[in-house]
Amino acid sequence: MSASTMQPNLDQLAGLTGVRAGALSRWQETGWPNSRVEQWRFTRLASLEKMDLRPASVAATAKPAAITAILPENSVILSFSNGVLDVAGLAALPDGVTASLLSENDAALAALAASVPASHPVSDLSLAVMTSGLHLEIAGKVEVPIILVFTGDDNGVSSHPVLSVKLAAGASAVLAEWHQTGVGLSAPLMAIDVGDKARLDYAKVQHESAQSAHLAATGLTLGEGSVFEGFQISVGGQLARLETHITLSGENADCTLSAIYLGRAKQHHDITTNMSHAKGHCVSNQIIRGVLDDSARGVFQGKVHVAPDAQKTDGQQMSRALLLSRKAEADAKPELEIYADDVLCAHGATVGELDETQLFYLTSRGIDRDTARGMLISAFLDDAIDSISHPALAALLRPVTTAWMTASNRAQTGDK
Amino acid sequence: MAPLLEIKDLHASVGDTPILKGINLTINAGEIHAIMGPNGSGKSTMSYVLAGRDGYEVTGGDILMNGVSMLEMESDERARAGMFLAFQYPVELPGVGGMSFLRAAVNARRIEAGEDEIDQLEFVKLVRAKAKHLSINDDMLKRAVNVGFSGGEKKRYEILQMALLEPVLSVLDETDSGLDVDALKIVSDGVNLLRDPARSMLVITHYQRLLNHIVPDYVHILAGGKIRRTGGKELALEVEESGYVGIDDAA
Repeated sequence: MSASTMQPNLDQLAGLTGVRAGALSRWQETGWPNSRVEQWRFTRLASLEKMDLRPASVAATAKPAAITAILPENSVILSFSNGVLDVAGLAALPDGVTASLLSENDAALAALAASVPASHPVSDLSLAVMTSGLHLEIAGKVEVPIILVFTGDDNGVSSHPVLSVKLAAGASAVLAEWHQTGVGLSAPLMAIDVGDKARLDYAKVQHESAQSAHLAATGLTLGEGSVFEGFQISVGGQLARLETHITLSGENADCTLSAIYLGRAKQHHDITTNMSHAKGHCVSNQIIRGVLDDSARGVFQGKVHVAPDAQKTDGQQMSRALLLSRKAEADAKPELEIYADDVLCAHGATVGELDETQLFYLTSRGIDRDTARGMLISAFLDDAIDSISHPALAALLRPVTTAWMTASNRAQTGDK
Repeated sequence: MAPLLEIKDLHASVGDTPILKGINLTINAGEIHAIMGPNGSGKSTMSYVLAGRDGYEVTGGDILMNGVSMLEMESDERARAGMFLAFQYPVELPGVGGMSFLRAAVNARRIEAGEDEIDQLEFVKLVRAKAKHLSINDDMLKRAVNVGFSGGEKKRYEILQMALLEPVLSVLDETDSGLDVDALKIVSDGVNLLRDPARSMLVITHYQRLLNHIVPDYVHILAGGKIRRTGGKELALEVEESGYVGIDDAA
């Protein structure tokens, strides 16, 4: 594919240097991967090429649109509109959090780029365009949740926020991303570095508008004795991929990264994780739950890699998908790559339908079929949601699944 | 006044296989009827057909409750109209909390009857009171529906649901199966508490044993998809003596 037809159109981008110039030239060389590239076999990007996109302009900051989130009280909100940070919000950051802009900090950008695989299309594209670049440095115990809210309403633009978050040794924080834009493409690139004995509670909600594409690349590095407890929900967008690369780089790190995807109509949700146990005595746990209705498609690709020296690794991963319609489809590609001999690793992936016997039991008690379905779907999802221990984040996530099911029931009733 | 339940020349199939081949049965308000029969006679099929389970297709005849045909009603509508099936194998619902399940069921009936939803505190009190009669403790009530319950606990939990829903017609499908003597006593006592001139029960069982505890007004012998004999409670004793051999021929 030639650079001129590649979306977004980067003809206006010039004068880049350093890391960003390298990223731009790699992007222009390769563009979006086609389906022959193994990691993108299940998620095709052809629809992107048909869009007429230009990168959101740094100058054109729209005012933030309303979001449906019920944000935790006392949280600090950093707003991005069309991928551009409202810098005024930085003043409200709590003690212990230091913000800086990444734009020309080449060393920081290089470190950020290193947290996801080299030549990753989202990484290259978003580094090159970078509608905003923000670095947060967190020291000490920060209890106030920090919520990154992404809105935007211009479907002719692509949004490329680039973020890095670094927790110093022993620090703790609560971080959430809420994505609810109407832009053509959101491609956030994020690096999270959790220092030794630090703790991060994290949640991400992908709630983009129905016509949007959301392609995220996140790199997560956990230091010795650190704890990461994260959760992702993918519910919006036409095409979405939440790709996370985790490196357990110190011993005794503990990583939970669970995810839910909820799809209807022709939505495509892709959850891709790469859990790399580089050091021993670490625990990783992933619970993935998907519910797909209509002609929606869900993909889970999860690799657990255990390095030769990473003895006493405990790596667990379980993916279950529930199909509510005959036209829905779920693909799972769990992979274990283990080079150490004293490890405890398990993975599994199932795809199923609602159990007719369970539905009959509920309806035989007078509970209508839609409510009965909702009860069984809730029970299915609770498995994953129950793994969130931070109350403010649980309160942020639960209404998302509830709202999705309410809408699902409405559609069901409408069919009759 | 129409009988509480009237089954007229009922034919039903599962897949392409005809199982019920012309059942006629009338149950008046306040009566307890027992249906006995050998394995494969169609007893469980009959319970599912009455409850309106998908896949159990009525190919002829009618089922009337208080004079109204139920054939076009879904299982949830039948339940709200006062039909209750105590399952032979109660279904586990992992992740579905017992109390919220019971409350959803009770509220569904109340809303149908034009009543308000039950108050949370009032509901907890009600459940505890009914549960006590059935030796169901708070721990069991807190668990997910039927998950981790023993066979006997599951059966007691069925009767608890029956007590809460106050059905017009209760169908008890082999409620005695898998119960030891003590559990059988608890379950039977629970059922007997629900005897009422306005309510009827259809007790489906393979063995006479249960009918010592829940004493029926009528006993019917089902074999080969038809009711072959009808009598009083003494018919159950007769079957206990001589088995089902020859029942088919008697028809």
